[in-house]
Amino acid sequence: MRVVIAEDSVLLREGIARLMTDAGMEIVARVADGPGLVAAIEEHRPDVSIVDVRMPPSFRDEGLRAALEARRRVPGSPVLILSQYVEERYASELIESGAEGVGYLLKDRIADVGDFIAAVRQVASGGTVLDPEVVAQLVARRRRGDRLDVLTDREREVLALMAEGRSNTAIAERLYVSEGTVEKHVTNIFGKLGLPATEAVHRRVLAVLAYLRE
Amino acid sequence: MSTPITAADALQIGRKALSGIDRHLVPHPARAALYLLANFGIGLGWFIVLVTLLATGISLAITLTGIPILVATLYLWVAGARWERKRIASLSGQPVPAPYRPLEEDGSFFSRAYQRVTDPAVWRDLAYLISLMPLGIVELVIVLTAISLPITFITLPTYFWIGGGPELLGVWHVNTFPEATFGVLVGAVLILPMLLLISGTARAHIAFGRWLLGPSQEQLEERVEVLTRTRSSILEAMLAERRRIERDLHDGAQQRLVALAMDLGMAKEKLKTDPEEAGRLVSAAHEEAKRVLTELRELVRGIHPAVLTDRGLDAAISAVAGRSPVPVTVDVQLKRRLPEAIEATAYFVVVEALANVAKHSQATQAQVRIVENAGWLVIDIVDNGKGGVDPRAGTGLTGLGERVAALDGRLTIAQPPEGGTWLRAEIPCES
Repeated sequence: MRVVIAEDSVLLREGIARLMTDAGMEIVARVADGPGLVAAIEEHRPDVSIVDVRMPPSFRDEGLRAALEARRRVPGSPVLILSQYVEERYASELIESGAEGVGYLLKDRIADVGDFIAAVRQVASGGTVLDPEVVAQLVARRRRGDRLDVLTDREREVLALMAEGRSNTAIAERLYVSEGTVEKHVTNIFGKLGLPATEAVHRRVLAVLAYLRE
Repeated sequence: MSTPITAADALQIGRKALSGIDRHLVPHPARAALYLLANFGIGLGWFIVLVTLLATGISLAITLTGIPILVATLYLWVAGARWERKRIASLSGQPVPAPYRPLEEDGSFFSRAYQRVTDPAVWRDLAYLISLMPLGIVELVIVLTAISLPITFITLPTYFWIGGGPELLGVWHVNTFPEATFGVLVGAVLILPMLLLISGTARAHIAFGRWLLGPSQEQLEERVEVLTRTRSSILEAMLAERRRIERDLHDGAQQRLVALAMDLGMAKEKLKTDPEEAGRLVSAAHEEAKRVLTELRELVRGIHPAVLTDRGLDAAISAVAGRSPVPVTVDVQLKRRLPEAIEATAYFVVVEALANVAKHSQATQAQVRIVENAGWLVIDIVDNGKGGVDPRAGTGLTGLGERVAALDGRLTIAQPPEGGTWLRAEIPCES
């Protein structure tokens, strides 16, 4: 798998590069600012780009803007955004650029190496990965809409995990229940919220996100 | 590394400083002349309009139809005074602050009109506009004289050349051509004093305008007092904030990092002798590291949230509301980004208020509403809790009041008897 890394801190950039190389991925470019990222994605057409939100020169949301720009030029180029904080607003902007092959994670998640590599692979294969904190913000926002009141607490938990981009198997493992139980919950959720039922994980994420952000 | 200042730089800086002074001490003669000439026309217009409207309004006041005319006239002259302030500001290069008392936010039309009528600043406005006409006449005469005097002297030879006879200029009889030629010299000498006369007259007018249209001495003294007070309280708040950050870092992240380093150090020792224990220590260190990250993230967000700078109040407050344990609805209606200090203050008002709601109110619902209205940013935080907030007891609320006051804003707390708390912060944000 060919990877572009955009990160201005050398320490983190080399750290991520080492993680990726250890996991058998190939680093095709390392860049440290927004324009560099756009150019690298255009040149290398990587399988996935790992991008820090905050980069020079403005140290604001350079990385996010550059990623959106790159995805305009190379449609569907998978991008995993890393940030010191996650903000629901940024996630929304990212997903609006096409929700397939996007990820948005707290930088802290790198610490759980296995999960992080899995997330990178999922984004590379066209999936959607959102940080649990973003999902929590989205679910909390909806709570006042009262529409999620029709769900039981357990169903809400399952919904949040679905929005993070987890498969039924993964959700079952996480909640210590059988996969059949999860399937039942999922069917109930989709039924209660009037969402189109589907098996593909990222389509499911999209449906849930569309509902949450409505 | 600092670059040494060259002589040219110094000259530039000096010029800049001087031009700043010149601009408001001595207005450019051409601009001053145009300003003074315009005063006559504008003054005449206001005199006619105001005398007519006031006479009509007062004579009809007995039949009550005069009252609306008088109120409308009042609003008209207040608008006129605002315009005059802008003219003075553009000539002198220094704004003239409007000295009106702040209006009650929710007052009815009549109570607003009453507040206007009882505001002395409004009557000073009227005095200025009425006096603009007589002043304008004097200024007109001065400007015309100042322009025509040098011209007359300089063109004296022409007058003789085309065959004019002896001429009387004031006390000076001009009888011969050589005498007229001497007039050219007099005229040339007169140019500079006449230009200074024009500028000086404009300066005098600016001073007069500031006196009537600007804040009075008492208002300025009061303002200085408020500024002194809010400045020291904001400094104290800043220091307290730094102490809090220091404490948080010391008690939190720093301690955790010590524990983390200890775990890793022990793991290093055990690596050879007891690999299993070493593995356990490394996992513990890993967990500890993640906890430090979370803690630092929260702390950094508390200092200043990046999303506020990047995306503005709406996004930042939605995020805060999303993290609140009490369900919060957010309604932010702003058409533009506001200055950073205002946005940050508004943000921290909401954060602190929602923290209070979560901690003390036992509310099940809260609402945040932010609108910009008539030059004020109005922030409302309402909850349905048990109320009973003592504005003086909570240090959080006092700190908020100080932050808001530092921007010339005000903070009010309403607690209806049926429960709930309504916190309102208003911050001026005139663009």
